[in-house]
Amino acid sequence: MPYPESFGRTPHRNNRQRRAVVPTDAPCYDDTMRFAQIGEQELIGRLKARDEAALDLLMAEYGGKVYGLSLRMTSNHHDAEEVCQDVFLAVFEKISAFRGEAKLSSWVYRITANAALMKLRKRPKVKELPLEEELGPAMTEEGMIAEPVVDWSRLPSDELERKELTARLAQAVELLPPEYRTVFVLRDVEGLPAEEASQVLEISVAALKSRLHRARLFLRKQLADYAVKRQAPAKPMSA
Amino acid sequence: MLKCRDVGQLLHDYVEKLLEPSIQQALEAHLADCAGCLAFINTYKQTIRLSDGLRPAEMPPELQQKLRSFIKTKLSSRQPTWWRQLWSGLADH
Repeated sequence: MPYPESFGRTPHRNNRQRRAVVPTDAPCYDDTMRFAQIGEQELIGRLKARDEAALDLLMAEYGGKVYGLSLRMTSNHHDAEEVCQDVFLAVFEKISAFRGEAKLSSWVYRITANAALMKLRKRPKVKELPLEEELGPAMTEEGMIAEPVVDWSRLPSDELERKELTARLAQAVELLPPEYRTVFVLRDVEGLPAEEASQVLEISVAALKSRLHRARLFLRKQLADYAVKRQAPAKPMSA
Repeated sequence: MLKCRDVGQLLHDYVEKLLEPSIQQALEAHLADCAGCLAFINTYKQTIRLSDGLRPAEMPPELQQKLRSFIKTKLSSRQPTWWRQLWSGLADH
């Protein structure tokens, strides 16, 4: 993630020039330090020492991740903003309890997911997901597909159509119950590996896999319904 | 020979490349003959690809600024700064 120029205090007007005399291989420990230069352990140490400049660094490193997860979980800018506030405050206040058994990023994700879930639980409950069997095509008694399946996977070759489909997907994500939404966002949007996502959510890999698959099936069905209704140039296929 | 129902149960592991090679071969053999399962898998994969596009852009700069101000205000209201500590220390004497 690029380090925004707006981050970090610049106490000296000629800070850039001042830093230019520092040998390039020397670690830079002034206020404009970057995460890559000091590493996770040093950052944790500085946060535990209540170093406010480290808070800037934490926000520069994890701001995008926290914001992304919050926004995709809550689908609401105001709620996402509040989640971000809660998360960074909690990280700074609870860092002394962080034992380093997980990666700092996993810990930050966990706090974010929990804060976003709290927001979602205050909202009216969404419908439960249909059963896995109901999200796939109908089957014959022999276990073979009993209805045509439209292959709309080649639809989004056009940029506008792709955007429409992505917007439709974003709407469909809002229909996912919170525990499915969290899994989906961590795995398929944020791209966390299964092991890390299961640690973040404190659930088994098997439970994670089950929720993810059901969430994907649900989203696929929503997109399929949309794609077919649009009567886009799709190729019907039958079993 | 796998049935369509079996493909549904193997779908997640197939997409995540977690299947044993022999099972993967059996599944792919089924796909070669079953247009319905192939269409279903293609659209399942497309859903995953589109999901990647849901990631928002970076945090807006104005929110970054607002967040920094908020956190620092909160922290300074909860924690005495060094000069406040010093002041309270001097006041004790």
